[in-house]
Amino acid sequence: MKKVTIIGSGHVGASSALYISEKRLANVVLIDVVEGLARGRALDSVEAAPIRHYDTRIHGTTNFAEMVDSDVVVVTAGKARTPGMSRDDLLKINAKIIGAISEEIAHYAPNSILVMVTNPLDVMCYVALKVSGFALKKVVGMAGVLDSTRFRYFLADKIGASVSDTTALVLGGHGDSMVPLPRYTTVSGIPIPELLEKDDIDKLVERTRKGGAEIVSYLKTGSAFWAPAAAVAEMVECVIRDKMRILPCSAYMRGEYGIEGIFVGVPIKLGKNGVEEIVELSLTNEENKALVNSASKVKSIIEKLEEERLV
Amino acid sequence: MKKVTIIGAGSVGTAAAFYMAEKRVANILLIDNEEGRARGKALDLMEAAPIRGYDVKIDGSSDFKKIKGSQVVVIAAGVIRKPEMMRLDLLDQNIKVIDEIINKIQKFVPNAIIINLTEPVDTLTYYIIKKGGFDPKKVMGVSGALDSSRLREFIAQELDVSSVDTTSIIIGGHHDYMVILPRYSRVEGIPISELLPPEKVESLITRTRQAGTEIVENLKTGSASNAPGAAVCDMVEAIIRNTKRIVCAPAFLNGEYGHKDICLGVPVQLGKDGIEKIIELQLTLAEKEAFDKSAGVVSNVIKSLELESKEK
Repeated sequence: MKKVTIIGSGHVGASSALYISEKRLANVVLIDVVEGLARGRALDSVEAAPIRHYDTRIHGTTNFAEMVDSDVVVVTAGKARTPGMSRDDLLKINAKIIGAISEEIAHYAPNSILVMVTNPLDVMCYVALKVSGFALKKVVGMAGVLDSTRFRYFLADKIGASVSDTTALVLGGHGDSMVPLPRYTTVSGIPIPELLEKDDIDKLVERTRKGGAEIVSYLKTGSAFWAPAAAVAEMVECVIRDKMRILPCSAYMRGEYGIEGIFVGVPIKLGKNGVEEIVELSLTNEENKALVNSASKVKSIIEKLEEERLV
Repeated sequence: MKKVTIIGAGSVGTAAAFYMAEKRVANILLIDNEEGRARGKALDLMEAAPIRGYDVKIDGSSDFKKIKGSQVVVIAAGVIRKPEMMRLDLLDQNIKVIDEIINKIQKFVPNAIIINLTEPVDTLTYYIIKKGGFDPKKVMGVSGALDSSRLREFIAQELDVSSVDTTSIIIGGHHDYMVILPRYSRVEGIPISELLPPEKVESLITRTRQAGTEIVENLKTGSASNAPGAAVCDMVEAIIRNTKRIVCAPAFLNGEYGHKDICLGVPVQLGKDGIEKIIELQLTLAEKEAFDKSAGVVSNVIKSLELESKEK
């Protein structure tokens, strides 16, 4: 049985463990620095196993050494913004956390594939890559799969179709500058510009852009975790089962789409070696400009971290 | 639990029952004129249930009275192709089989939704609607769902990607002139034309056109059953669970795509009422011409049917 370690046992981490177990993908180790949190969540999940019929193991710990020999390590750890805290403050705090975790991963699970979830996502991927010294294709970020599943749900809901018939590609950085591509968004292979008016598409795109904030506005004291966890499990499955699915993920760019030296969301082929291939779409000038613009926002945050010597 | 009847306990009917059981779609009744064949296959499937964990009921019988109460009736009866045979060669024999089945459906489940797999599928689906006087929204065939699955697998193999991410649309008649639309054949929304050179796309299309024959030639004494069974299971599930999925299937056209009084493969949205909507794609001129040509083949066969009935 394969082994997946999830660092951070908040809602996203714990729900990811649940989806991974339901799919019987791997034994799961949940790690959290908060004493008892990982252990409690893990125990709760295994106690559901007799009813739900998964016989994979789920184990919780505060000890990073227990990630040893993991095939995949998922990083969901990090602080959420609290009232009065600036985005920059949060950025610095999380960069330090991810830096420390990346060192542990490099030490205990040097052969794993690293799936990053912590925000700001594309920047944290960069921090993890630099600190861990991992090969470029072994670090991949979860964003596009989540943004796409939201877009797909909104689309299916709008036209009364089944979600299983929908596909969507949302590229770019995981933030307000994300780049949803309607031409590549389909229902049963039919591009949505054939099925919906431009106004309606614009509304779906806008809602997708603000999908995370919409959930926060309802929950008030929390943020989304089911959809993010489902996206994590999907990516973990691709790696564990070497599925070679084409999914929009944050990957390290080496000139593709004219972008170099940073992580940004693009379609990749995801398999046992991580990012097996970056798929280059024939984007229109306008689409490519939006992607490059989104990438430049990621770059400016990285520069900020570099000034502070946090990378 | 809903009830689905499958008429014909051959390989296709049995495969369909198997997939439906695995997906717990409904209780299943297998009907076959050969009582033992239906009973034996049903029993074999039930005996796998404790291991596979499905708790739907599967029954086999030759008694058509038992089809009462079915929401969906799948027709997988009749003879199949042998090597060197065309789908059309099956018409005369299969029409007699279909006549008997129409009769039983009218008598016992006149309001059921009917899904036909018996070949030639477009013509016989049309025949079922006309002869049986059924609501055209409640009768459909299986062709595009199967042809698309084949093309999707070929695309996935060619590109070494997961077939889960592929989509494809194949319309028109279920024969050599099926209309394969590469523009709508995609991997995670990306058209295959962006991922493969034109000659490769063309070779995948050619293989898809011949895919049924490829299986017949390999098997020699049988024809495809798993992919057709999976395709019909998908359609039955969409109806039973009212999922509104869009699949390509022979449907009765009343002006859509410029054709009337004919059954041809088009994208349809399936739900509890059967065909809830026919989706009209914005075809290019060349695609429309290919569709018309494909329609012409089916239309000629349908005309020959009418002649026969006049002679009688």
